[in-house]
Amino acid sequence: MNATAGRDKRVEIAIHNWAPRFVSAGVPLVDFEEVTAEVTRWDDWCAAWSRRGADHEALGREALAQGYKLSAAGHYTRAALCHHFGKFMFVHNLGEMRRAHEKVVECRNIALPMQDPPGERVPIPYEGKTLYGILRKPAGIGNPPVVMMCAGLDSTKEEFDVYEDICLARGLATLAFDGPGQGEAEYDMPIRGDFEVAVKAVVDYIETRKDLDAARIAIMGISLGGYYAPRGAAFEKRIKACVSLSGPYSWLEIFEGRNELSREAFRVRSHSRTMDEAREVAKTLTLQGVAGNIKCPVYIVAGEHDHLTPPENARRIAAEVGGACELNVVLGGNHVANNRRYAYQTQAADWMARQLGASR
Amino acid sequence: MAKDARVEAAISHWAPRFVVNGVPLTDFQEVTAGVERWEDWCAAWSKRAAVHEALGDKAYADGSKLSAGEHWTCAAVCYHFGKFLFVNDMMQLKAAHTKAVECRNKALPLLDPPGERVAIPYEGKHLYGNLRKPRGVARPPVVVMCMGLDSAKEEMDDYESRFLRRGVATLAFDGPGQGEAEYDFPICPEYEKPVQAVIDYLETRGDADAKRVGVWGVSLGGYYAPRAAAFEKRIRACVALSGAYERSGSFEGRPIINVEAFRVRSHSANLDEAAKTAVRMTLKGAAQNITCPIYIVAGTKDRLTSPREAEKLAAEVKGPCVLSIIEGGNHVVNNYWYRYRDQTADWMATQLGVAKR
Repeated sequence: MNATAGRDKRVEIAIHNWAPRFVSAGVPLVDFEEVTAEVTRWDDWCAAWSRRGADHEALGREALAQGYKLSAAGHYTRAALCHHFGKFMFVHNLGEMRRAHEKVVECRNIALPMQDPPGERVPIPYEGKTLYGILRKPAGIGNPPVVMMCAGLDSTKEEFDVYEDICLARGLATLAFDGPGQGEAEYDMPIRGDFEVAVKAVVDYIETRKDLDAARIAIMGISLGGYYAPRGAAFEKRIKACVSLSGPYSWLEIFEGRNELSREAFRVRSHSRTMDEAREVAKTLTLQGVAGNIKCPVYIVAGEHDHLTPPENARRIAAEVGGACELNVVLGGNHVANNRRYAYQTQAADWMARQLGASR
Repeated sequence: MAKDARVEAAISHWAPRFVVNGVPLTDFQEVTAGVERWEDWCAAWSKRAAVHEALGDKAYADGSKLSAGEHWTCAAVCYHFGKFLFVNDMMQLKAAHTKAVECRNKALPLLDPPGERVAIPYEGKHLYGNLRKPRGVARPPVVVMCMGLDSAKEEMDDYESRFLRRGVATLAFDGPGQGEAEYDFPICPEYEKPVQAVIDYLETRGDADAKRVGVWGVSLGGYYAPRAAAFEKRIRACVALSGAYERSGSFEGRPIINVEAFRVRSHSANLDEAAKTAVRMTLKGAAQNITCPIYIVAGTKDRLTSPREAEKLAAEVKGPCVLSIIEGGNHVVNNYWYRYRDQTADWMATQLGVAKR
């Protein structure tokens, strides 16, 4: 029963780095414990999570058959999360990854209209193609301000349910989207350093909606998205506030020291054939000479013990931004301070609500 | 370094419960890793609770009331778990308990939907409860929530939220031998008495529908709730989670801290006395009087209350019965909470006449 003994290093990396993230994103603790205990080879990771995802789907179907939509939404959202974490770093088997990913999107789409408040899948025109997002609006508020949510290297819009609920409870609408190199867009559109192009497309889309207040837009980003969000804010002046969680100042420096799972995910999602090619893309992800153009208020979070993106990154961004800045380095925090979400999560949401004059 | 057996017992039995009821996973890992001796348990949890309390204070000072309510609720749960079985040091237990109640009381009016501390007249004194009402529903039905041996009303936020989202008001209360009542009132096997007092109280309120009252109980409360339903006919539906059908006078096989909690909360000088209270806990001859619909939950891997107890109860009730024995479930199935928490909330809402959501 010594599961650790013969365990694949990549499984260890995933468990070691991501346990608090999985659970705080909504994966039941027992699922995390049982699924990771049964996996010894990385090759089995995705299938094991997909099986667990299927369990939650079955519960969702059962609730739906009985007419309990709210519960069904919860089950399908958990199903989507389990399939998502099966998929998230599984770039060495793109066939299996994509099948799991299809389940992620399918389950979350089933859940959306039944959630409280409900969500809506939205297509966002982008360079002749389409990005997809999840839009949710707080109950009982006309024309709410909106928070754009940027995923990172391995997160996607389906991982944001907990963040969404926290913002929604504070009167903020949420628009989580898959940008280039992420989720539904990762197959056709590679990672790009000038993420502001995608951000502009999303803001343009928000302006077409009569039910959102495009004059009150904030952007938040997680992990690599903690780079994308300030990058977007530097160029896109319609953004009024920015939250950056554990983002790199210069991705190349981080990339070199990352574990093999992260590096491979970046290589594949930047559509690079080799690590050398990936390194060239990595060079373009930088706030050097850019951060000074961020004039809107910024709230920056880092984990003191983050060995994936060390807190020096946050300090550099904070030192260079051209507007008001709050820096929250969470003591004892790991990557994205997922182990201490209570030290920044509601705080960042409250901060955005204040910046945007939300009515709760 | 060997840990105290009492610490090991607490960790091995209660990890999933702590986390699903609101303790951040990291707190559970760090606090339990830092405790070697059971004697340090309460202080370690109180120290962690103080971190959340300070975050609540800060949020409140900043005008972020909803966040303050959430942080203080988290603080209350941490204080509560410091206190929950710490009957070996009543001074420390009471200090942590006072903080648990204080933090939850501060949180209540700030929550969404807000809660209200209520005083329920009982035998010349009062029992205390937390009443919360769903938004936008006039005169909602109510579920009366019964605690167990070591739970208290401050631990109920997750369960409450599930009922509230489905249009059902919640009244979690500390009955005899529980929470705020454990100092003055010993464990009361004839739990229909406090439940009667609670329903009498609900009838005095104009803002809840006392004609649509359900009862719900967890662990030892999973015995209390059906016991009340057997005698109190104003109850329209019952949920029993991992409750005993009948307790024996033997405490063998139970963790020592659990046994001690029963002894102290039954106000017994020794285990012989405690056994006299324990054997009064029975549904034999009473279960057949349960005519309202009942939903019974048990776990096949429950080491404290065998699923056989649930089967016995299900076999004897006279009304409609859902028996959900969950494969691999531990005590109160806190590990596979997603297999019953929403399901029982949906079921209760339907029994109490709320449209499906």
